[in-house]
Amino acid sequence: MGPSSSSADLSAEMEVDAFRRLFPLQFYERHLLESIRPDGRTHQQARDTTLALGAVASADGSALAKIGCTTMLAAIKMEVMTPTTDLPDEGNLTIEFHMPPICSPIVRPGKPADIAAVISKELSDTILSSGMINLKELSLVSGKTAWMAYLDIYCLDADGALFDAALLSAVAAFSHLQIPVVSVNDEGKVFIVSEEDKAGKPGNEPVNIDKRKLVLSNIPYSLTCLLHKNYILADPTAEEESIMETSLTVVLNSSRQLVSLYKPGGPVLAYTSALQDCVAMTMQRVKELQKILNEAISDMEVV
Amino acid sequence: METEVSHLFGSSIRPEEVKALVKKATAAKEKMGELKRELSEYIGRAIDIKGQVGIAQTRAFAIEIPDKEMEYVSPEGLRLDGRRPLEMRQLRAEIGVVTQADGSAVFEMGNTKVIAAIYGPREVENKAHLINDQALVRCEYTMANFSTGDRMRKPKGDRRSTEISLVIRQTMEACIMTHLMPRSQIDIFVQVLQADGGTRSACINAATLALANAGIPMCDLVTSCSAGYLNSTPLLDLNYVEDSAGGPDVTVGFLPKVDKVTLLQMDSKLPMDMFENVMQLAIEGCKAIASYIREVLLENIKQLEYHRGV
Repeated sequence: MGPSSSSADLSAEMEVDAFRRLFPLQFYERHLLESIRPDGRTHQQARDTTLALGAVASADGSALAKIGCTTMLAAIKMEVMTPTTDLPDEGNLTIEFHMPPICSPIVRPGKPADIAAVISKELSDTILSSGMINLKELSLVSGKTAWMAYLDIYCLDADGALFDAALLSAVAAFSHLQIPVVSVNDEGKVFIVSEEDKAGKPGNEPVNIDKRKLVLSNIPYSLTCLLHKNYILADPTAEEESIMETSLTVVLNSSRQLVSLYKPGGPVLAYTSALQDCVAMTMQRVKELQKILNEAISDMEVV
Repeated sequence: METEVSHLFGSSIRPEEVKALVKKATAAKEKMGELKRELSEYIGRAIDIKGQVGIAQTRAFAIEIPDKEMEYVSPEGLRLDGRRPLEMRQLRAEIGVVTQADGSAVFEMGNTKVIAAIYGPREVENKAHLINDQALVRCEYTMANFSTGDRMRKPKGDRRSTEISLVIRQTMEACIMTHLMPRSQIDIFVQVLQADGGTRSACINAATLALANAGIPMCDLVTSCSAGYLNSTPLLDLNYVEDSAGGPDVTVGFLPKVDKVTLLQMDSKLPMDMFENVMQLAIEGCKAIASYIREVLLENIKQLEYHRGV
């Protein structure tokens, strides 16, 4: 590529960076031929994933999830509401996904990113339809009061695979959630019992004695893959997503059932064999994510 | 005699100049005090002439009823969270947290946690706002829905957020050397993750760190701290409970090396002779934060040198 003096090394390095910017597709294809990606991963390898529960002290349940550099902060706040007349025994769940301008240079203030609305809807559909949360558990007094759980997920750093990180943070926040102790007084008004009140007050029977956790069944886990020619790349970064547009998201639950499959068009058409390969990669990833989530929960319990 | 010193915005004035302004205001207030005394004499005479009727009403007009005070400083000298009156909350900062941004930082003051990200200098988005000889600085302050005790319905676009965005923009703009980057745009985005009083100060400190991380030239660090006056004691770095007690809250933005005040905001009422003390206390807080910020930046440089093998 040029003479091997130290100044030429610098110019060779600059050539690589320039090549990466000017011809990104060729840059990636040269790597994929050698079965490797520029950050050193293989096609099927996902980035390092970490979870921290209880990141937000003021929320009832929260979690910070990082997949590579993609960072998501999820927090749940509980409020009391009256249930609807046709579902008097059920609480409710509202899920919102935000991409503030700090997370990415493409997000401008005042104009929310298109992808934020898409992911918000996907997340809402996936979590509600997966049956992870039994809404009956969120009921307090049948027909009168129930819990409304507000889940807010903030993207703090957008570096690809946003849906995976958001789903992981949401699931972790629900595992961390502790429903506050409440009392209902004679007029039917609900108020939160603080630590000092618990012992003394007569006439106010707490509806739930201890702070309780939700029982989560069929927890969903996801993996996003990029399809390019005959390559399948798991867990893309933002750079990879911008070059190769066709993505496929597979969501499986802990009993290995398929919860959701999402392939929103794209230039590459997938054969069913490609879909099966993606599902197989997701199954592998589910095992990894389960281990990470269980470790994070047990770390919290020790503390 | 209690007088009101309300919103003072200074752009790079020295503390001595502020004191001179305060002295002028004191003289004016003393004059007003004399006039008030004359008025109460008239009232006294009116009571004598009119007799017993209407005494209660007139007295209520002339006398101020003091509020029932809650104990914010215990007799042993401890505040509600166990701090001493001149003690600041625990500081924690980290830079380079958002990889997508040109510069970023997380700044924590006690339970207040704020994340700032800088994008720039980059191309101006709206050509109508382009300035030919300097950079355009934009700032947006938003609070997360879960940052306060009750969930917020409208975290941005409300009046408080707009006002704080303006304050941060003007404070940082005074220090960024915008003439070195003409026809470009620098975006400062601040997101509050946890709010427990002093969010304005934490945002300015985080923005300073993030600008340093982005390598944007500045004439000095900008640090900010708040101070108040409750139970006749000046308190440094108020948290949410102390801030909402209704007492005065003085926020100061300070440039440590050139020793100048760039931001000064105050609300509620404060005796004139105490104002100087409280402001000086806030400035001391700013100096302490400045030394912490310098430590963090120095540590970061050492890490970079280590990674480069220098």
